[in-house]
Amino acid sequence: MTTTEGKRATFRQRYEQADDGLRFQDLTYTGNFVGMDPVTDGILGDKMMRSRARSGVLEKVTKEDVLRDHFTIDELNDLNNYLAWNIWDVLVMRATEGVSGMIPRQEYEILAFMHEFYRWPELMAMTTEAVGGAQGIMDIGASARREIGTKVNAVHDWCIGAVGFGMGRCGLLALEVIKPDEYVEESNEILKFMQRVLWGKRQDGYILNSQDRYRCRIHDQDFLDSIVNQVEPLDPDGPEHGAFTQFNAAAELLAFLDHYDCRLGLGDTGPYELPDGKLLILRDLFVNEEVFHWSDVCEDAKLPHVYTLALVLDPDIMNLEEIRVNDISTTFTRPKNYLQAVVGGAVFAREKWDTPMGEVYNIPISDLGDHLGRVQQATLKLYTKTSKMCRRDLIWNGQYVYYIDMILPHMRKAGTYEKACRDYDLWEIDQRVANYYYDITKRGFAQETVPSKIFSGAGYLPFPDGISPTRSKYRWL
Amino acid sequence: MADVLAEGYNVFDTKKSPSGTVKYLESPADVIGLIQSGKLAEHILLVRGGTTTFLAPALSMGAIGVITMSGAPESHLGILSREFQTPCVMTAHLTNSDSRYVVGSTDEAHFVEIARELDGKKVRLDCTDDEVGRVVAD
Repeated sequence: MTTTEGKRATFRQRYEQADDGLRFQDLTYTGNFVGMDPVTDGILGDKMMRSRARSGVLEKVTKEDVLRDHFTIDELNDLNNYLAWNIWDVLVMRATEGVSGMIPRQEYEILAFMHEFYRWPELMAMTTEAVGGAQGIMDIGASARREIGTKVNAVHDWCIGAVGFGMGRCGLLALEVIKPDEYVEESNEILKFMQRVLWGKRQDGYILNSQDRYRCRIHDQDFLDSIVNQVEPLDPDGPEHGAFTQFNAAAELLAFLDHYDCRLGLGDTGPYELPDGKLLILRDLFVNEEVFHWSDVCEDAKLPHVYTLALVLDPDIMNLEEIRVNDISTTFTRPKNYLQAVVGGAVFAREKWDTPMGEVYNIPISDLGDHLGRVQQATLKLYTKTSKMCRRDLIWNGQYVYYIDMILPHMRKAGTYEKACRDYDLWEIDQRVANYYYDITKRGFAQETVPSKIFSGAGYLPFPDGISPTRSKYRWL
Repeated sequence: MADVLAEGYNVFDTKKSPSGTVKYLESPADVIGLIQSGKLAEHILLVRGGTTTFLAPALSMGAIGVITMSGAPESHLGILSREFQTPCVMTAHLTNSDSRYVVGSTDEAHFVEIARELDGKKVRLDCTDDEVGRVVAD
């Protein structure tokens, strides 16, 4: 064997039926499966979780399944368990990050989780009715197949169920303000909305990337071709490579900052294998979200709503063993450093969230310097602005980023965002959640209970057998 | 053999081995002050958390190396340091201490000890190993 042959990528083995994938972490998951073998991360973990399901909801499902209005209790519990594992899979290591020093994220996260669980069901029912029923919601998901720079993406769609239902219910259970047999109807409303958007987007019968060995391949071939045709070749040691990767990093940083240090500003799809064996990742970086008042600094810097980067990787350069585009739209690889393998790139800008695809324009890599300067300028101004905010403002602003932005793209597409603001007091804080503001700092709830219950997967209690799928909450005792 | 002062998760393997004086940053004002001093490139930055926003302008303006006391490569600061190709050692612990970071139940003394031991020291980051990043006396 020659040296070159010895450096061939092996990632394609991950897509063979019998392959269990690599382990990206040493930790294991237990959840509601106490006494059974601990569940791993990755492809093997997905297999283990699916093998423990009592229904077929975690396998490929049909359009008729998705159109049906109610899950069975077994299906709800299977989704609850799978999402709990999926949350652990993508977030247990992230959640070791501790204090921010800037934005109290644990605090705003838990408030948003609970607010979403209370408020979203009504908004989702209204939106479903406004688009003519279940098919209309599936069509919203399907719109992402022929768009770049859209927030109808993996992380937002996943958040509907994983965050609004899963973490929201888990947080309220941990706070002991709801019981496992309550809000079944509302849970169904949220999970059906999620299933319909994701099924409509993927159209392969699955809803999550983890079910498809961490692939999010949603675009039609002719649509992909139109992007690939604009990719510029990059020499890994050349100045254009540096300009492209530096812009990627700077824009990604601002996308995080504009979304209060959360993943909603970032959206990867792929990997798409190109005819020459290279891999394409499409990355949306939302650097200017107009519904946030603090984005005025991004507007002042004349930044578009979103930059989309096409990254072409040569898997052989990095001896790629596994690539995951996970359900929160983030790409991780083994080996970890993929940037050295970027051999082609393109950058596009979409000025507003609803700018037609025909008006999305390419920015030559040689012109990125001007955009980079404006991104850096906005980053510094937004940082300075944020550093002057008081704790309460930071927490509620962050809460809004989750509670509003996670369903904003779907309501925008449905044309119901303005109605939600006007008739449903979308930007108000529910009185129950306003009161929780004081509870979450007691007994280390945000700092200790949230990581131990939510990110570890330990607090996702099942719905009791035999409970009515239309049961809500009736008693406040 | 070089004196390893601290170890932690290596965010990404790289031959870059930045050296500088450790600067412990406690507040956004510290971050802004360092950037305005024009000496960002002289320092390895030590921070407590693994989130991105706190270090945002420093990353954007060219930080050469980062050490955190919590977080992992999957944390937002880990993701961004990979994108910036800024060597980063996360959840670093002192090699001469038994104290370790545990989510949600780490004593304040753990962070104080690390800051006291590393702040102001001349170090180099060794990020060549797949998993372990090392803070080496320089």
